[in-house]
This record gives sequence, C-alpha cells and structure tokens, in this order.
Amino acid sequence: MKNKYVFGGIIIAVFLLLMGYLFTQSNIEYADDFTTVKATTKTVKATGSWVKEKQYEINKENKTFSFYMADENGNEMKVIYEGTIPNNFETATSVVVTGKYKDGYFHAKDILTKCPSKYEEESVTSSSL
Amino acid sequence: MIGSIVLTIALAFSILAMIMYYLNFRGYTNTLNYGRIAYHAMTMLVIAASVLLLYAILTHQYEYKYIQGYSNNALPTGYLIASFWGGQEGSFMLWLLLTSIIGVVLQSYTSKRGDLEPRVMAVFALATTFLLIMVSPWFKNPFELIWTTPVFLELKNLNPEYFNLPFIQSFFFSDPGTNQGFIRIDSELVQLLAGSGVSVNEFIIDGRGLNPQLLNFWMQIHPPILFLGFSMATVPFVFAIAALLKNNYIHWIKQSFPWLLAGMGVLGLGIMLGGYWAYEMLGWGGYWAWDPVENSSLIPWLVGIAAIHTMLVQRKTQAKGGIGKYAKTNLMLCILTYVLVLYSTFLTRSGVLGDASVHSFVDPGMFVYLFLIIFIGSFILLGFGMIAYRWKTLNENIPEEESLISRELALFTAAIILIASSIIVLVGTSAPIFGQSVDTFFYNEMHLPLGIIIMLLNGLSLLIKWRHSNASEVLKKVTYSGVASILFIIILTIFGGVNDIMILLLALTSAFAFFVNLDIAVKIIKGNKKMLGAYVSHIGIALFILGVIGSAVSPDVVDIDLVKDQKTEAFGYELTFTGSAPIENTTKFAFNIDIVKGGSEYSIAPVMYRSDFNNSLMRQPAILTLFTQDLYISPLGYDPGTQSSSTTSGEIVTLKKGGSTNFSGTSITFSEFDLSAETMQAMQEGKDFQMGAVFHIDKNGKHYDAALYRKFAGGQVEFTSYSSDELNLKIDLVELTAENVKIVFSTLDGSDDQVSDNTTIGNREVLSVTASIKPFISLVWIGVLVVTLGFFVAVARRIPESKISS
Repeated sequence: MKNKYVFGGIIIAVFLLLMGYLFTQSNIEYADDFTTVKATTKTVKATGSWVKEKQYEINKENKTFSFYMADENGNEMKVIYEGTIPNNFETATSVVVTGKYKDGYFHAKDILTKCPSKYEEESVTSSSL
Repeated sequence: MIGSIVLTIALAFSILAMIMYYLNFRGYTNTLNYGRIAYHAMTMLVIAASVLLLYAILTHQYEYKYIQGYSNNALPTGYLIASFWGGQEGSFMLWLLLTSIIGVVLQSYTSKRGDLEPRVMAVFALATTFLLIMVSPWFKNPFELIWTTPVFLELKNLNPEYFNLPFIQSFFFSDPGTNQGFIRIDSELVQLLAGSGVSVNEFIIDGRGLNPQLLNFWMQIHPPILFLGFSMATVPFVFAIAALLKNNYIHWIKQSFPWLLAGMGVLGLGIMLGGYWAYEMLGWGGYWAWDPVENSSLIPWLVGIAAIHTMLVQRKTQAKGGIGKYAKTNLMLCILTYVLVLYSTFLTRSGVLGDASVHSFVDPGMFVYLFLIIFIGSFILLGFGMIAYRWKTLNENIPEEESLISRELALFTAAIILIASSIIVLVGTSAPIFGQSVDTFFYNEMHLPLGIIIMLLNGLSLLIKWRHSNASEVLKKVTYSGVASILFIIILTIFGGVNDIMILLLALTSAFAFFVNLDIAVKIIKGNKKMLGAYVSHIGIALFILGVIGSAVSPDVVDIDLVKDQKTEAFGYELTFTGSAPIENTTKFAFNIDIVKGGSEYSIAPVMYRSDFNNSLMRQPAILTLFTQDLYISPLGYDPGTQSSSTTSGEIVTLKKGGSTNFSGTSITFSEFDLSAETMQAMQEGKDFQMGAVFHIDKNGKHYDAALYRKFAGGQVEFTSYSSDELNLKIDLVELTAENVKIVFSTLDGSDDQVSDNTTIGNREVLSVTASIKPFISLVWIGVLVVTLGFFVAVARRIPESKISS
C-alpha cells in the first residue's frame, strides 16, 4: 500500500509544480479595454470589433492582414496579423486577437472571429419604412 | 406542436420508469413490469419525435425555428439529415435518442444478470429524464415554433407573393448598417397571415442553411459517433451508482467493463473523426488545436481510459476474495467519466467559453445555463454523495503488498498519468471561465513528459506479471524490443533530422511500446485471438503517437504564389496552377494544381467560394496523400489578374451633389443620388445592396445620362464604370459617400496625356497558397483505427465474462 502513495505522491507533486509553472508561463489574460492593452507588454487576448469604416488591408508581399479594431468604449488600435484574412471576418460580430501591442500596432499571432449564429433581435437596429 | 407534446409525454414516461424501477429495487415486486413498459414507451416516443423532426427537416417545414435556422432548400439529403444535429437543440435531441436506445440494450443486458435491472434502469432513467427536460418546451426544444420569440427574417427567405398583403408593411424593417430588409415574424403576424389563409410554411419558403464548414462528409458521421460515445459513457456511471445502491462492489466491475470499453472505443473514434474533419475542412493544416470543444470531449475519454486500467486491477485482485484493489478509485472514475461528459456539454453549450472557441455554440440564456449547472450538480451530488455514504463499508481489506515491479502498480501509475493528462486539459479548458486562458504550448509542454511515461508503461506493463515480477526476467524480455527501438531512434536521428531530446525520448518509448506489443500480439495470434484486444489497442496508440511526432513536430510550411501555367517548386514537389473551374452549379470554384513528384503526376484542387450563409469567403484545402507523407495545400487568395490597373490612372475629381466638372471638352454634372425603388427591389430579392450616382453629361450640345453604382457585397465594395465610344470617355467611380462622389475620367483610346498606359502589367492569374508537408500523418489515422479495433476485440472477450447472475 505504501508504494502506491509514494509513487502517486511524487508524481502528483512534480506534476502540479510543473503545471503551475507552465500555467503562469502560458497564461494569457483577456482585455476588453484597449488602453490596458496598449499599456502592457504582455501577450493578451484583446476583444473588440472591426472598425468597418476603415477598410482592412491585405499585404501580399509581407503576407500580413491589417485592420482597425475598437473596444466597447470606442478606443481604436491598428492590428497587424501575420497571415491571411480569416473566414467569416467581414460578418464577424466580434473579433478576439491574441498578441502584443508594440510600436503603435497590435501584433496578432491569432485571430478568432465570432459570428452571429442566428439573427438575434438586437442585431437589427430597426427603422420602420 | 405534435413534436413538443410527444416529448413532454416521453418525459412523463421517463419519470414514471425511474420511479417504478426504483420502487422495484426497494422491494415492490409488481412494479418491475411498469418500469419496463414506461421505459420502452419513453424510447418509442423519443424515436417518434426524432422521426417527426427528421421528416419536418426533409419536407422543409420552416415554421420550426430550428429547421429555419439550420437547413434550407438547397441542401442535398445527406446534409439535410446532418442538419438534424447542426445546432444545439438537435444535438441534444440526437444525444437523447442515442441514450434512450442504449437504454433498451442495457435493459435487455441487465435483465439477464440477476437483480441488476431495477437499480441500473432507475438511475439510467434519471439520465434520460434530464435529457428530456433539456429538449422539453421550456429549454432547448427543437420543435419551437419560429414566432414564439419574434425573429427578423431576410426577405429572400420569404414568399414574395404575399408581400402585397396590406398588413405586411408594418412588419417590415431594414438595417441601416447593411441596408438589408427584414420582416419581423411574431405571433401577431402569424395570426394576420392565418386570417388571410396563409400558413407559416407557405410564407417562409427557405431556411438559413447549414454553416458551410459543416458541409463535409465527416460531419454526417462525426457527431452521431461522438454522441453515441457520450451516451455509452452513461452506462459505467449507472453501474457504479447501482453498485453503491446495493453496497456490493464485486460484480459491477465485470458487468460494466464491456460497456466502458465499447463506450471509450466509440468516443475516441468520434473525437478523432472530428480531428479528421478539421484537417480536411478547416485548412489550418492540423487535426488537433487544443480547442475547448475538442478538449472537452477528450477529458472524459482520458478519465474513462484511466478507469479501464484500474478496473483491470480490481478485477484481477478480486480473484483472491474481497472486493479487490482500487474499489473507491473505480467508482469515482466511472462516475467522473459521465460527470465530465456533462461538464463538456456545459462548457460548450452554456456560452461560458464565448470568446475562447471558434465553434462553441452561442449563449443559450441564463435559464439553460442554470439548468446545465443543476444537471451536473445533481449527478456529482448523487455520485460522490453515495460514495461518501458508503465510504466505511468500502474497505478493500487487501493486506498483502505488491512489489514495485508488478503489473498492478504499472497499471495504477498509467491511470495516474492519464488522470494527470485530463487535469491539464481540464485546467486549460476551464481557464476562460475565470477570465484566463492558456497558450497551446501549455498542453504540448505538459504532455510531452506524460507521453514519454505513458508509452514506457504501455510497453513495460505488459511484460510485467501480476503481483510480482523478477527484474532480470523482465530485462530479458525487453531485449529484442529495446534493441529494435534504439535502432529506430538512430535511424530517426540520422535520416529524420530530429534532435530534440524530449521528442527523441517520446519516439523511443513509442517505438518500444510498439515493438513490445507487436511481439506479444504475434505470439498469441496463433492462440486465443480474443486475448488480442489490449495489445492491438496499445499498438494503435504507439502508431498514433509516432504519427503525431512525424506530422506535428517540425512543420514545414511555406506560403507560395502560384502563377498560372508556371512551375513552382516546394518541398521537392513541382506545382503548376492550371486554372480555375466552377463546380457544384458554379457556387464554388476549384483551383486545379498539377503536381509532379518523382516522375509521378497528381492533380488536386483546393476550393474557394463566397458563402451566402455568412457572406464570407470560404477556403477548403486540398490534400495529396502519398505513402509516407501528405502534401497539404490551403488556399489563401486568388488574383484573377484583370486589367483593372489602368482605371485609376486618370484624373480624379471629387464632386458634391449638383456640382459639375469638365474633362476634354465634356461637361459632367453630378445631378442626384440613385436610391430609387430598385433598392427596395434588390433588397427583396436578397441581392447585394447598391447605391448610385446619376450624372448628366454634355458634349457639343448633346445630352447623355449615366448612372454609376457602388455595390456592396458582404464587406466588399465594387464600383461600376461608364464608357462611351461616341464621347471617347470612360468614367470610373472610386468613392461614393452621402456627401460626395469621387470619379476618374479617362479617354478610351488613351489619347489623353493624363492616362498612363499600364494595362500590360502582369495580368496573369495568381493563386496564393500555404503549402505544408505532413510526414507520416497517415499513422495518426491508422493508429486511431487500430486502437478502435483493439477496443472491440476486448469487448468481445469481456462480454462472456460479464455474465454473472447475481
């Protein structure tokens, strides 16, 4: 019986330490406010929406995709993503980018687009004809 | 309407079955038959409701919100069937359907095994009861009528014949952002329609359709198999509770074992079919992304696999009398497996992962969220409450100590590692609930050491005897496999160029596991083939890990531009883009690429199209599968290379409404915006919206009218141009806002100095793709199939052992 606990105990302790360490290393926090995004040097997940008035750009030479993103308070920032425009980008209701803010841009290594899966009532700001 | 009633009656029968079975367990002998009848009646009703739903989908009854939201007229039958489980409501329905059918099999199974039936079926009926509440009219009911809560439907999905009904106008809305027209469908409109003799199914003539990413062959198979795995995971849970109810922990191990094996085999297959779908459909080049939805189905699988290993120990140690080792562990693991299936459902359906996953379902509302918590909470409370209640009687009473080198300990360590793995995935996946999230390297880094240990145990544990083994004896057996795997690693280092020590260790232990199991399998294949299950599964896992190492460790990825009819070299493949062709009624475009490799010629075609469903460009990769590797081509973009470059080189003029300008003796006046009735028309037909500017053009007393348009198609703006040979004039619209227009003038023959001729610049078609090499990825798929095969060989062996009549 003792073997079981010795073995299990060692494995669990090592494992928990390793997990705790890696969790803090790989931890990425969500940030809804772009002023905090711009202030930190850490990798964050910034949530906002695409500023449709400012057209996105696909740079074929550098293989980048850039656009402007705004948070709920209307703070804007330019996002540069090394890759191509994601599927669903134009119709996405919100965009989550993972990366760092540096030199006046948000350098995204990942983009996630959230799409309206049904037309929800609030998505139509109705104006009767 | 009928569907909801059928489901509600089914719910009543499910509760009745639960009560009757429970009373029978408590000693009321005459209620057993009522329990059986109620359970079977419930199953028949669930099947009837499913058939009704399927029939309504196939006959396009868009009065149902679910059907309108997830299918349309254009879907072929296969995908129409797939739309049954395309959304939340339907996937709960599928889960319920499979669970109730599993229950029928379980009823027959338990009725032949002593007094099992009443306890098992009472708990099982509790599970079906919860699922039935989930699809009941108060929660995620697939039969909800579309007007129950008002929705706005696009005009293209409605029958224009009825647009002239006088009351329609007051239900018409438009979205100023996109200029799309909608009609509000609510009970008031439905009443008015009924008053005019129009049914809802006549008024709503098309549905929204299925998400184009789900339009894939594997999506017709992956969800049913996954949900079958979920349903089967209910059974070990139920057996564990039944054992606790009776306070007897000997027989449930053997009796639930084939179910656990089969369930985990099916669940594992279902998970990896999802991986195959991602690989073939999503175009990012992999089969596993540690996405929350993938992860959440992996967690119960890992725990279930751990349970299989510790239950083997309990089974073996029971031979000496008593309940055997790890009795508490096994109860907990079997309970956890199902609780984690429920937790998986909670994570993916409650909307808590809203920002974290691409394919998490949308927020279903507070009500459903709470119900899911109650659902999980009840099962945790029931399971662990029962264990706590029986804790004192759960004494294993095994005095003897096994040695360090024993199969018992090896299996227990394996289970610990599997649980560690599940905790890692659980922590990472649940982090978004607390506003945190982890990078995928968290999972990879953590799993690398675990993988090494698991694969070592995978090989070793089968060489070690039960209870006690001699170290030198084990070493002797290891020799052949050890030498073979070291040779393999040397080859891998020299020819494969792998130099990461951890990866090499993982490859070494995987190869070791492979050779050990192969060795044993070859030896026993002549004897009792029924004994092969474990070895086959373990060979499969080893192959799988080797495939993962090959395909994922050092990815070769390159972005290339393929100019039409021009050879491009990548990874030793010669790629030639030969042009595009419309496919599937010109709704999609296939981009044909000829590939030459080592004298052989192949042809593949990635696909791109604009989807009406989400108004986005969809890209589908193409895969060339060769013996040792896959060439994976994912399209990025396509430049048709038209002569558009000449248009913006003329004179740019900005005009306000009413303003005029002069170009080569021609007077041009911007007279008005064109926002005429045609706009409404375009919206009604569901076309992309356009707005225009009308120009008066005067030259030498002659009068012309021109209208130029700004067309808006899903975020992409297009402008039209006007040209006249008579005037030798071309006008291009470059911008149109509410205030002014920007136009560019040029002459058609290029006589004007201001026009620079640059039409000769590269007007060749270019296809941009991401190409990558996936070495030995086929081992991943072969591994999965071998593992699944092993599971079922083991099931065949364990069913006869489960026939205990007490």
